[in-house]
Amino acid sequence: MTTDNNALRVDTIGNLIDPKLKPFIKLPESPSEKPHLIGSKCSSCGEYFFPKRAICPNCLKDEKPEDILLDNKGKLYTYCIVKAAPLGFDAPYAIGYVDIPEGLRIFSPLTECDKGKIKIGMDLELIVDKIREDEAGQAVYGYKFKPVSL
Amino acid sequence: MRTVYIIGVGMTKFGRFPESNVIELGRTAALNALRDAGINKKDIQVAYAGHARTGQLYNRECGVGQSILWELGISGIPISSVGNFCSSGSTALREAWMAVGTGMYDVAFAIGVEKLTGRAGKGRPLTSDGVELLTVMGFSPPIYFGNVATRHMADYGTTPEQFAMVAVKNRKNAGPNPRCQYKDPITVEEVLNSPVIVEPLTLLNCCPTTDGSAAVILCSKEVVSRYTSKPIEIAASALRSGPYKKCKDITTFGSDRLSASDAYETAGIGPEDIDFAEVHDCFTIAEIIHYEDFGFCKKGEGGRFVEEGMADMGGKLPVSPSGGLMSRGHPIGATGLAQVAEAVWQLRGVAENQVEGAKVAFTHCAGGFQDTIELGDVQSSAVTILKRGW
Repeated sequence: MTTDNNALRVDTIGNLIDPKLKPFIKLPESPSEKPHLIGSKCSSCGEYFFPKRAICPNCLKDEKPEDILLDNKGKLYTYCIVKAAPLGFDAPYAIGYVDIPEGLRIFSPLTECDKGKIKIGMDLELIVDKIREDEAGQAVYGYKFKPVSL
Repeated sequence: MRTVYIIGVGMTKFGRFPESNVIELGRTAALNALRDAGINKKDIQVAYAGHARTGQLYNRECGVGQSILWELGISGIPISSVGNFCSSGSTALREAWMAVGTGMYDVAFAIGVEKLTGRAGKGRPLTSDGVELLTVMGFSPPIYFGNVATRHMADYGTTPEQFAMVAVKNRKNAGPNPRCQYKDPITVEEVLNSPVIVEPLTLLNCCPTTDGSAAVILCSKEVVSRYTSKPIEIAASALRSGPYKKCKDITTFGSDRLSASDAYETAGIGPEDIDFAEVHDCFTIAEIIHYEDFGFCKKGEGGRFVEEGMADMGGKLPVSPSGGLMSRGHPIGATGLAQVAEAVWQLRGVAENQVEGAKVAFTHCAGGFQDTIELGDVQSSAVTILKRGW
């Protein structure tokens, strides 16, 4: 079951997001907004990064590349279906790499991607959803991509 | 760099040894290498120990080499640890090669050891060091290679049957090798029907959890005649990190291409000159890509290379005649030196699964992931080219 991000309050979801992922996710602040991943862009050479980087490794000029919201749509580059999951993850699930227009490739769990429907090159969009459970059985949220609803 | 030779190699059996600790495993392999070289322990001038998980699993981040050699009465010399993911053992060898090659020392010891059966989470895939963000998102090495496999299938028509043929070949090669963890023959059907780990990879497409150790003794050209008339020359030892190109083609490993071309150039040879290879077949798809990255076949033809028997014993270029990681197992820090030990026995003509007349060997280890989610390139790749020194 996929969560409808628009219906959930930012503070509720915000508290459930894995602390390590929080700096990388911008939650919607109104029902008309969508979640975005936060990347960074070098003010000198224009290179985009995800995850954000502390210094641009290309030119070493920008020591504080500015945060930018990345496009929340992309195309599936490749994927696999996990049956033997790491601790806390509920198999089976699809996970893969999504290419976004900024020239970045995002590693991400995929949802609503049943085996027959999942296809390299398919259009996907970002959502914020439960990705696993912690040791106490508490839901931990992160980002995922799902097929673009037509 | 002056010419460096291998004069002794030793291994433990690889397998599950719950009663043994890393020091005992390392001591056994090191003693076997000393005896193989017929060398007085007092001649060892410097030593490097490769290990990657002893800190996490046994609170032995440092000092593994010192403890192993202390048990053998070797002390008072420079000894240090080398941690470099799955290339830890190969990197220890490379440090030893440089120590002798640069003229600083005449005799060096490289030891690799790991005991992975002590890890928690049995039945779950091994995680990788230093990838906090990826791990939060559910990353594991089988997931990476599953993604690689899906894309290789889509781009080149490679099939799960061809993946399985790598496992079948390597298990057949392991049959006569007493050091392998798994030796019983398997069929393509058995590989395909084993439990799915990460579709399209089943359990028998993945290397097992293993304990073991391997050790290698190196010396300079100046002193080699004291020890043997049949030394093995290290023609090249290359090590590279990942180039980490954005949105790169995931069906080729950038660090491997760099280390292989570096090694070929140093040795002054090409893939056509190699008699056999021991590659890092952590997953069957990885071996197929290694055929392509190392120039054993053209890009995209790795599946056909194994299907047509080119990598078999007696084929165009036998790959993993020892049984590979698939059958021998993969105790991380030991693997690179185990490959070298197996290659040395081949070049001496005494391997259990002998490649007839082998004179030039290629060994390769690689591993580790960078915590940048978009990249997907391994952090360390080591290639060693060995040839008969007589």
